[in-house]
Amino acid sequence: MLKQLLTTIALTGALMGAQPALAASPPNMLVIGTNLTGIRTLDPAQNNARTVSELISNLYDNLVQLSPDDLKTLKPMLATKWEVSADGKIITLTLRDDAVFQSGNKVTAEDAAWSIQRVIKMGQVGSTDVALWGFTPENVEKLVRAKDEHTLEIELPQSVNTDLVLYSLAGSSIGIVDKKTVLSHEANGDFGGAWLSANSAGSGPFSLAQWRPNDVAIFNAQPKYWGGKPAMARVVARHIPESGNLRLQLEAGDVDVGQYVASGDLDALSTNKDMVIDNVPGLGFYYIALNQKDPDLQKPKVREAFQHAFDWKAISGNIMRYTGFPWQSMIPRGMIGAPDEAAARYDYDPAKAKQLLAEAGYPNGLKKVLNPSGAPTLPFAEALQASARAAGFDLDLVPGEFTPAFRERKFEVLLGNSGARLPDPFAVATQYAFNPDNRDEARLGSYYLWRTGMKVDELNTLIDQSMRERDTEKRTDIFKKMDGIYSGMAAPLVIFFQRTDPYVMRTNVKGYHGHTTWSTRWHDVTKE
Amino acid sequence: MASADLTSKQESRHARAGGFADAAPHPLTSLLRRLAGRVVAVVTTLLGLLFLTFSMGRLLPADPVLAITGAEVSKEVYDRVYNELGLGQPIWMQFFSYVGKVATGDLGTAATTGQPILTDLMTIFPATIELAIIAMIIGAVIGIPLGVTAAVRRGTIIDHIARIVALAGHSIPIFWTGLMALFLFYAKLKLVGASGRIDVFYEGLVTPMTGFLLIDAAIQQQWDVFYNALGHIILPAAILGYYSVAYISRMSRSFMLEQLSQEYIITARAKGLGTRKVVWRHAFRNIRVQLLTILALTFGGLLEGAVLIETVFGWPGLGQYLTRGLQMNDMNVVMGSVLTIGAVFLTINILSDVLYRILDPRTR
Repeated sequence: MLKQLLTTIALTGALMGAQPALAASPPNMLVIGTNLTGIRTLDPAQNNARTVSELISNLYDNLVQLSPDDLKTLKPMLATKWEVSADGKIITLTLRDDAVFQSGNKVTAEDAAWSIQRVIKMGQVGSTDVALWGFTPENVEKLVRAKDEHTLEIELPQSVNTDLVLYSLAGSSIGIVDKKTVLSHEANGDFGGAWLSANSAGSGPFSLAQWRPNDVAIFNAQPKYWGGKPAMARVVARHIPESGNLRLQLEAGDVDVGQYVASGDLDALSTNKDMVIDNVPGLGFYYIALNQKDPDLQKPKVREAFQHAFDWKAISGNIMRYTGFPWQSMIPRGMIGAPDEAAARYDYDPAKAKQLLAEAGYPNGLKKVLNPSGAPTLPFAEALQASARAAGFDLDLVPGEFTPAFRERKFEVLLGNSGARLPDPFAVATQYAFNPDNRDEARLGSYYLWRTGMKVDELNTLIDQSMRERDTEKRTDIFKKMDGIYSGMAAPLVIFFQRTDPYVMRTNVKGYHGHTTWSTRWHDVTKE
Repeated sequence: MASADLTSKQESRHARAGGFADAAPHPLTSLLRRLAGRVVAVVTTLLGLLFLTFSMGRLLPADPVLAITGAEVSKEVYDRVYNELGLGQPIWMQFFSYVGKVATGDLGTAATTGQPILTDLMTIFPATIELAIIAMIIGAVIGIPLGVTAAVRRGTIIDHIARIVALAGHSIPIFWTGLMALFLFYAKLKLVGASGRIDVFYEGLVTPMTGFLLIDAAIQQQWDVFYNALGHIILPAAILGYYSVAYISRMSRSFMLEQLSQEYIITARAKGLGTRKVVWRHAFRNIRVQLLTILALTFGGLLEGAVLIETVFGWPGLGQYLTRGLQMNDMNVVMGSVLTIGAVFLTINILSDVLYRILDPRTR
């Protein structure tokens, strides 16, 4: 009987031993370990989040592009040149004539016009940036038009800095789709949205070979790509949600690029000579939000006390080491109008915080409920809770997904992080400082300042000016002024860190550059 | 000649089996009546389950609209999706319209994949079933002999080993075991695959037919794919199986101990029968039915255990699907998955019940 048992165990062992050892990924194939959670469609018009932007940016070309190392200079892509009329109302783009879609159809100005019209008419999240310029489903067909096969005209419905418009055209949502092919798959007036959710119809360097939501996305190189055939014959984005598992696969060489690796695993990988960690600055912040509908948090001295209640230096070396750097200005680092040094506008000073609380009428401290916006910001919230205790704040930490509550203004203190895609301070300022209507029924949940229940007319005016102004020097002054007002008013969004997105790569991978606006492209990637 | 021998051997074995092999067949009508009663009970249970899940979904501070649109969405888009989902209607109306749709096989659309839930389930459910079946085989093949041996050799080293195995299975978190096993068998020994059902290089070589990758690969004679898939499933299945070994061996041991103290065993031993015959021919035959129930319960438990192990191993199955649905507040996914797991549990229960009646004459 014992013999039977041992035989069984031996057989099981033999079965496991019988598997061939697995090889590392082949030299002409790039394997990206990432998190594909929540990607419901690969239609450019219906997306603006980080991971999916990268996938889409390799299926579709944009009219213009920004390289990852220079976010100020627009570069040609499908458009070889562009010019702006003297009155700043019309942008005319000339398209290249050697670009073809994966169907074999030529890329024309009609496809480009229709792609932009489609994004606006569908009104999904992909339209977030481009709709800022005043395009509506009613006017877009008239304003965005093909003049001839290779000339696209974009007429602006209002006075806007045309650089901003061009930046928005470089975003992954404005990937140019094959009008003829997409329309042949249209159902119930959905602009082909259902079909495009799991198929591609672009002119990009890759086409979609296979897509299983939350599992795997496989891309094949397009040999006839106008920019030359990519070195990688195939790119695979694989859903590996567990960071420890992803780390093992990176170390084994089965995965070439790792995204969303947890802080502890990044620490371990940083000492591995086969790995490089590229910390790509993002256009967003980690912040504490204070609800102004709460009478205690309305008091400026209480908001100021929060600035001194968080020991941000203590976490900048550990939990934030790869996901952010200290930054306390509303203008992201390196952008026009940003301060040269914004690392220590407010220091952790529990005594000062207590004094401010006492002056505000809370000599015995203040008790509030603290929520993280979601799981990723929980460690940050725990650190705040601990350091705020010494500063007189008794924060009751309730974990969970609180972004919906934040949008509904149903919170007291919340810790969140943000991202944006337009590489201009205007985009971030709109998110953090714009609120044209503070009434509850206005439901302007996409503006953080509305979420916290504060409205500052002067900031609204400045943001509006920054959108219209075409002179860079004047815009720089506007943003500086904005930043001055924001930091001087003890804003209800207390910024501590600027976001970074860590990408782990094996050292033999060359030419993979994580993009600040998430349009990371694989065309130039090679493996040694 | 040989076959005649075999037949007479089988007959004599039946004669010794002590009862049920020679019993009269069960009347079909009574079985059908019983089944009809069970079906009513099943439908009621599923409705209750739906109501519970639905209420939970409404009580959570989750926003199904944001699950679809993402957090940074304009008011216009938000309102449109809100109305499309019918969230403006009263709760009871939403519930009844949901139940009505479920009755026609429409489980709604998953916000997180954009696909109909039923389409998603067709893809992912086989992955979990495949995992659970292999885990179950491992659990039964190791657990039953281990438990029986521990009972027969009570107090010996084998008994202690069985107890340690059971204790470890109850106390070590499956998540940790999964990561440690990956570290050892994948990273260090390079024996198995790390993540997913197959290596990416083999993607697309096998056309999905049954949804069970091992079966599909075997049918299409893609043996490379078959072995690679086996290399991927063996570790998560073995870990899942190990956690069921603990339970199965413990139960087998106690059933066996109970049988071994029965008079017929003492008689058989007194007649000079060898231990092996006494244990496997007599005692084991009488605990088979109880074991069947245990295996059925275990299978349900395996679906539960799959939630964590699927996350560790990036296994695209029901467990991961449900976890993600919960994380992303995708209530259609949560309700569809819970309903599926509930339906599987009930089906297993009914099947084991029916088998129990067929195999055990005393229950008729």
